[in-house]
Amino acid sequence: MIMNTVIDAHNISKVYNKETIPVYAVNNVHLHIERGEFTALVGPSGSGKTTLLNLIGGLDKPDDGQVRINGLDITGLSADQLIDFRLKNIGFVFQSFNLIPVLTAKENVEFIMQLQGVERSKRDARVKQLFDQIEMADKLDSRPAQLSGGQQQRVAVARALATKPQFVLADEPTANLDSQSAANLLDIMAKLNKEEQITFLFSTHDQRVIDRARRVITLVDGKITSDTAAVSTKHGHAGGKK
Amino acid sequence: MIFIMAWRNIWRNKMRSMVIILSIAVGLFAGIAVLALYKGMMKSRVRTVIDAEVGHLQLHDINFKKDYEPKFVLTDGASILKTVSSMPAVKLAAPRSITTGMLSTTTGSAGVQINGVVPQLEYEASQLKKKIVAGKVFDPVKNNEIMIGQKLAKKMKLKVRSKLVLTFTDTASNMVSGAFRVTAIYKSDNTPLDEKNVYITMTDLNALLGISSGFHEVMLLLKNDEDVNKVQQELKQLFPAYQVESWREISPETDFMVKTTDQYAYIIMVIIMFALAFGIVNTMLMAVLERTREIGMMMALGTNRVRVFALIFLETVFLTLAGTPIGILTGWGTSAYFNKHGLDLSGMGRDMMGSFGFGTMIYPEFPADKLLVVMLIVTGTAIFSCLFPAIKAVKLRPVEALRR
Repeated sequence: MIMNTVIDAHNISKVYNKETIPVYAVNNVHLHIERGEFTALVGPSGSGKTTLLNLIGGLDKPDDGQVRINGLDITGLSADQLIDFRLKNIGFVFQSFNLIPVLTAKENVEFIMQLQGVERSKRDARVKQLFDQIEMADKLDSRPAQLSGGQQQRVAVARALATKPQFVLADEPTANLDSQSAANLLDIMAKLNKEEQITFLFSTHDQRVIDRARRVITLVDGKITSDTAAVSTKHGHAGGKK
Repeated sequence: MIFIMAWRNIWRNKMRSMVIILSIAVGLFAGIAVLALYKGMMKSRVRTVIDAEVGHLQLHDINFKKDYEPKFVLTDGASILKTVSSMPAVKLAAPRSITTGMLSTTTGSAGVQINGVVPQLEYEASQLKKKIVAGKVFDPVKNNEIMIGQKLAKKMKLKVRSKLVLTFTDTASNMVSGAFRVTAIYKSDNTPLDEKNVYITMTDLNALLGISSGFHEVMLLLKNDEDVNKVQQELKQLFPAYQVESWREISPETDFMVKTTDQYAYIIMVIIMFALAFGIVNTMLMAVLERTREIGMMMALGTNRVRVFALIFLETVFLTLAGTPIGILTGWGTSAYFNKHGLDLSGMGRDMMGSFGFGTMIYPEFPADKLLVVMLIVTGTAIFSCLFPAIKAVKLRPVEALRR
């Protein structure tokens, strides 16, 4: 069971303005995420969702506590080690798409695999598979500017999954999408979660996303106030911990 | 992929990239232009020194040039002249008798170097005939004619057919004088020499100096510039008792200028490159700052610092490579045009150029031998200029960059 713990955040805190008026963006948080979970991190704006994701993703370091990914304490890694660690272990989906504008959809996905040194034939096969899964096989050569917001976010998800990471962190992935695009994206994420057993942790205050999550963690003022199985079971994915 | 990204990135803001490309092209063009101009000027100066002033080599009595005393004559001048004229590398050998003295008129006097020449040889040796701006060449049947420089003519208020008196000491150290009539006024590219040198026939000068046979100097023009050292060595062996000097020894200031030209040109280039560097730093920094979020996202996804650095570096290299051929072609085209038609710098001041011994018509020469150095300087500048923006990019913290 311990071997299945992907994310283990232990008493982590992040404080801003330490010298003047300290603000706890994340305050003594414990969090365990198991392999294959599809978890929503919810809370009002400023509750610390993005900061917590940054700490878990190794983009920022906690002032206190430890973050263990697959048992490795990443808080002790250097900036360069963290870059390498993120490349090999974590997929990111950002709120505002963040595709590289000069690369085509295919190249955006392929880029991460190339950084990992994946050989061309395997890259091509994986790209084909992912674009089939996100239902954008006809948009391989489109530049981000030629894609809709929803399509860009689907490419971002494909990119996050390209190297089969340990888990995917998605920061408000549907915030800039219309209902239909958001629903499509969630369908794809849920399908990939199920098919590839990839762990998803996403911050959101979008009820559509919360409805699809199997576990919902609520964060208020940097503290976890609740951690429950999702109330909605309409998609049959309910079944979180605690 | 980094290559593709770098190439496409430079076309994201076409206007900005074109500004950098043109800056690099202009920098390269300026570098080539400066070198071409200097090379042209130096070549012209060297040609003037060789063809119109001192020749390739000169031969004197070993004591003559210490004080220009007229007694130090090449007494076996005729035999020397015959020997050197028969050397295959020698194009022309011209004898000269030389002394220093005073030129006097009713209005004043001036110190001059009096050159006694064999007119027909001197017209070719120092292009004296071509330099005449007023009057006519020496009359073969008349005596006591003199050619003076325009600068001296103005100073002494002399015109063609004016009379003047030359006073100097003869070989026995007696003061002698001779009255001369100006037959021609000449003008060369070297104003200070025009003010100093006057020409009379060797027959007239030798008669006044009391030289029955011989002269003071043999000036040699060679067929090829490259033969100077070789012929100088041969002459030293043939005439060990005489002083054999090359134009580099006779005109050390010209030799110094030639040797330091490249350094001056490179100093000017470095100044131009500084301006170019600031332009590139500014533009590349803007490019980095505009893409802070994108670079932060790339680093968040796992792009390491080396690759981020390489991206900015490659963008600068591509811009440099795009600008380089433009700069070289325009530099080559411009120098080729002016090499053919000449670049008239008389607008900058004819007297000023002349006072430094330069003609006002310059024929810039494309510095093919320096092209690699120029390209290396420009490329080095561009690469050096990208360091600051590239370091700025690699120092970005993804978490902060993504917030922007």
